[in-house]
Amino acid sequence: MSPRTKRSGLINGIDTELEFHIEMLVRRLIDEGVPPAEARAQAEARLGTTERVRRECTAIATDMETTPMTPSHSLSTIIQDSRYALRVLWRTKVFTATSLVTLALGIGATTAIFSVVNAVLLRPLPYPAADRTALIFDGYQKQTGVEENPLSTPEFADLLARTRVFDAMAGLRPQDSALTNDCGNAACEPIKVKAYVVSPNLFDLLGVAPARGRGFTTEDGVAGNVGGDRVVMLSDALWRTRYGADPSVIGRTISLGNTARTVVGVMPPGVRFPDDPVSYMKDPADLWIPMAWDQRNDERGNQYLTVLGRMRDNATHTQVAAELSTISDGFRAAFPDRYTPASRWALAYKPLREEMVGNVKTALTVLFGAVGCVLLIACANVANLLLARGATRRRELAVRAALGADRRRLIQQLLVETLMLTGIGAALGIGVAFSALKVLIAINPGGIPRIATASIDLGVLSFAFGLALLSGLVVGVLPALREAKADPQAALGDGARGTDVSAPRRRLRGALVVGEVAVAAVVLVGALLLIRSFIAMSRVPTGVSLDDVAIAQVTIPRATYNTPDKVTAFHRALTERLRTLPGVTRAAAVYPLPLSNEGWSGSLSIMGIPEGPGLPVPHAEFGVATPGYFTTAGIPLIEGRDFADTDTLATDRVVIVDEEFARKYFPGESAVGKRVATSGDLVAGPIQTIVGVVGHVRNKGARGDSEGQLYMAALQKTEVSLFYLTRTSGSARTLLTGMRSELKSLDASLPITLLTTGRDLVHAFTAADRFNVLLFSVFGMVALALAAIGLYGVLAFLVTQRRREIGIRMALGGGSSSIVRSVITEGLALTIAGLTIGLGAAFLLASTMKSLLFSIEPTDGATYLLVVAVMIAVAVLAALAPARRATKVDPVEVLRG
Amino acid sequence: MATLPQGTLDLLVLQTLSKGPRHGYGIARWIEQTTDDVLGVEEGALYPALYRLQQRGWIRAEWARSELNKDIKVYELTTDGRAELRKRTADWTAMTSAMTKVFKAR
Repeated sequence: MSPRTKRSGLINGIDTELEFHIEMLVRRLIDEGVPPAEARAQAEARLGTTERVRRECTAIATDMETTPMTPSHSLSTIIQDSRYALRVLWRTKVFTATSLVTLALGIGATTAIFSVVNAVLLRPLPYPAADRTALIFDGYQKQTGVEENPLSTPEFADLLARTRVFDAMAGLRPQDSALTNDCGNAACEPIKVKAYVVSPNLFDLLGVAPARGRGFTTEDGVAGNVGGDRVVMLSDALWRTRYGADPSVIGRTISLGNTARTVVGVMPPGVRFPDDPVSYMKDPADLWIPMAWDQRNDERGNQYLTVLGRMRDNATHTQVAAELSTISDGFRAAFPDRYTPASRWALAYKPLREEMVGNVKTALTVLFGAVGCVLLIACANVANLLLARGATRRRELAVRAALGADRRRLIQQLLVETLMLTGIGAALGIGVAFSALKVLIAINPGGIPRIATASIDLGVLSFAFGLALLSGLVVGVLPALREAKADPQAALGDGARGTDVSAPRRRLRGALVVGEVAVAAVVLVGALLLIRSFIAMSRVPTGVSLDDVAIAQVTIPRATYNTPDKVTAFHRALTERLRTLPGVTRAAAVYPLPLSNEGWSGSLSIMGIPEGPGLPVPHAEFGVATPGYFTTAGIPLIEGRDFADTDTLATDRVVIVDEEFARKYFPGESAVGKRVATSGDLVAGPIQTIVGVVGHVRNKGARGDSEGQLYMAALQKTEVSLFYLTRTSGSARTLLTGMRSELKSLDASLPITLLTTGRDLVHAFTAADRFNVLLFSVFGMVALALAAIGLYGVLAFLVTQRRREIGIRMALGGGSSSIVRSVITEGLALTIAGLTIGLGAAFLLASTMKSLLFSIEPTDGATYLLVVAVMIAVAVLAALAPARRATKVDPVEVLRG
Repeated sequence: MATLPQGTLDLLVLQTLSKGPRHGYGIARWIEQTTDDVLGVEEGALYPALYRLQQRGWIRAEWARSELNKDIKVYELTTDGRAELRKRTADWTAMTSAMTKVFKAR
């Protein structure tokens, strides 16, 4: 007999058996004097619904076929429960689908964000010694915190000579260069590469060895200065993209910034130190150049070297701090003019990991918290669904209890069912996470280190299933305990009428909704604070208008452009060519790019401002510009004149300052005509004369505090790296090809390192903030929607339960408006209870996101009020449908039924 | 009618069948009669219990014809079932005598 016919045979058997039983009961009842007409009904009532008994038996019978004669141990009962659970889930398709979608979204979003947190914050850095490595810097105590500056080479040399807690130290600095004529064919396009000049021991310090060839030796460092062979090490990425992973590249000579260098080694994949932003170095390395040691004779104030130290095995952070403090005292004693008390200077350090991920830690933690909240709401909704369904399943459970299934077994069965639900939810959620992660990486705005390495790995998978298990227990335990506690007699008696109105159950569901509203309020407060910050930030005037501007960065090699005249001629020629492009109204060049948070700053002398120990040294952001830059970038000229073509190396040095600078150093008088010295001093020169005052530009974006600015004339400074801006009356985007071809026709060997429109550039600078706002808004909306669904569910259930009461009230003349009011009041009571808890929690939690906010306090009253208004409006909307349904109750029908 | 303590339905069914094979209705009536109607069987629960006991291999079923010429399913105890019954009876007796001692304790 095939299993199929055997099974149907068994079910037929059940029918025959039950029919026989009922017949026998009927006979007996008639014997006892019950009227034959009623006897059958009574007999059937005694047996309960035959349909239910048949279902129970079929369930057991099906198991009997597949697991014959199994001894009753827990594993087999779990398998049995799982099969049963699957059947129950299949039978209640709407419930199952709703729960699965909710869980999949909740678990999916949480898993996707966790995979990012895992990659960025939790996974170890790819350097064995990373956790013992620290960044050492010149710290200047400011009101807003410690300002971190790189070290100068003499400071580095002194530190290296004195340290005991660090067993190795290495310095590095960036050096953008162009690779030319290095791929062995004529079609070789020059490219710009990110090169770092590093101490030869950098990779020994970090604990990684080259994958091919050799690493740097101390001799490599000095070789360049004594006429020896200059060398270079390649990153795996550059080796693959530029040289097609050709092993014979070792030993080849390449031209880097017009200097011939021999390739000695290739680092393993994934090593591009500094992989994440360290100090002011933002881009991963393409290649490394060994640092020559004679640079230690530099000026002590020339701070550009990023210094790493590796702590000895047994060194503690207390020892490191104590030693740096002692060395700082030594520096102050030896150079009292440089390290003045007023500068509040001291050597300081920071663990490498904190330096690399520190600035995104808050954002990621807050984001993770928000998405966790959304998961909590999702769980509460599923728990609510389970409770609602529990009402209809009580009889079935009561039957099982009466059958002799003990309470533990019933709880086990319900838990297996919810775990199965959340397990499937998690599996779907991982699918959601995969796609969500792809989207996250695709729209990654930059500035999140190592986000590209985020993946759904074993750790993330265990996290997802741990989450599923946890949410299964959370959503399953409450309903399970409640159902299992139910008194079988009561359930079998009144439960049959389906008018379950147990008060504790209603309270539990109410509490769940209150919780949902509370958590949703927390997420909403966070989202709104971020949105309002973002709006405030976009309203900050930047000082430039780059909307109709196209930008190209050009760096000319000093090796070929080796005289000031050649440099000046190049800039003039390129500017002229750009001005002839169709649609171009203005063209000029500048460094640094406005809003980019790059560039440099320094101290200067100003004629008329006294200098000396204990006196503040004038300080400004520096820039260089060519004539016409300010009008091209939309920066207003407030006073005096712009740079002119007649400002050359042969004429007096001229500078232009911004309004901040003028206000700070020349309050109440004109800055034009004043004299300053940005290098050297006012006696020896060169002395520069201020010829104009322009508007202030927020070079560090809306968040950064920009100080006063001073522009030098690019043509007097023979600057080799400039950003060329062209303003057009047409479309900036169509201008880009023209800019490229003009540059190529002037000097085909020059790489174009940046070619973009001003609009895209401004967009890119705010990308990280927009990304945060976008994610938070999505989570806020989801939280709000889920809470509204939860509220709707509870109110709809309430109306169904109170049909009778509503019917009586209507029969007694209660108007439908009073009934609508009572349902909405019920909904509002739950919402207000939730809001009270939620806003209190938000008030306590919001301070953690203070560093993400701009010009708004975490306790901003208007934001909280707005959340209250939105949530109450949504609550009323969610209550309207059930309330309307309540008024449709037909009193006659309800009372008769 | 007193309610059945959980889990005792199985024991009652096994004990009933130890007196000889019976059909479902017969089992329910026998329990009621021997206990002077004190123990009532929730009849809707009886059949699932019978299927479960079958699944555990403690009882087996056979189709037969009744005196009224109806198809009936007759249950009887297996050897495993007899062993289970002995074990459960021993447990039950131990427990009830312990309970009795508690109630009679002065």
